[in-house]
Amino acid sequence: MVATLEETKTAAKARQVLCGEVKHLLVDRLGLAVDPELIGDDQPLFGRGLELDSIDTLELAMAVEEKFGVMITDDDTESLLSLNRLVDYVAGNR
Amino acid sequence: MTSAAATPSARPGGLSADEIARLLPHRYPFSLLDRVTSVEPGVRAEAIKNVTASDPVLAGHFPGRMLYPGVLLVECVAQLAAVIYGSAAATRSTGELVADVAERVGYLAEIKQAKFLRTVLPGDQVVVRAQAGPRMGDLMSVTGQASVGRDVVMTTRLVVTERDNSE
Repeated sequence: MVATLEETKTAAKARQVLCGEVKHLLVDRLGLAVDPELIGDDQPLFGRGLELDSIDTLELAMAVEEKFGVMITDDDTESLLSLNRLVDYVAGNR
Repeated sequence: MTSAAATPSARPGGLSADEIARLLPHRYPFSLLDRVTSVEPGVRAEAIKNVTASDPVLAGHFPGRMLYPGVLLVECVAQLAAVIYGSAAATRSTGELVADVAERVGYLAEIKQAKFLRTVLPGDQVVVRAQAGPRMGDLMSVTGQASVGRDVVMTTRLVVTERDNSE
């Protein structure tokens, strides 16, 4: 099935909104000293990206579950590798 | 108070200091919990910590103004968190609440929040409560509080780790 232009625009807008929500969640819950608007959609969350560490994964998983009702378990930690992956995971599981 | 039993047990549903010592590697002067009054393995626990003027830490904190250190109240919650996962491991492996599982005790990984609402002084009986939260890998989130009588004296949120060498 091919999406219409209107449907594509709506989906893109919804994803943009979700990306914004996830960025604000990251900054608020992990106390990051960064403007949420400056976080790139494909920015890695760990290492040279947002410099999260393994201890932050638990807090992030708890925050995502509370805000979006989506559980991240030990088997899903790949979804935390970048912002885009996390947004994909949330969008696909809520 | 004496008991004929080799390892005196606390009241039903609780754990004595000797039983706590089978779950935790901590020893004097850092074995902080006197008795666990209730425990739901893997979920929550409650314990008593009696603060006494003969506690060596009070000799230095502070001379002439004895005050139980707030960081040790946080440590009480961390030790109680180890009772929560230790008793769960003991239950899984033996069916009993207590077993020699002290090697499972890991580290205090994060103090997310701690608030100290009242001072704790010699003579105070501190009731420590801990509740296990979500887990990921070897990390376990914990919420805890300490109270004296009806007053909450400390609240905290922690992350602790549990070591698992056997699996």
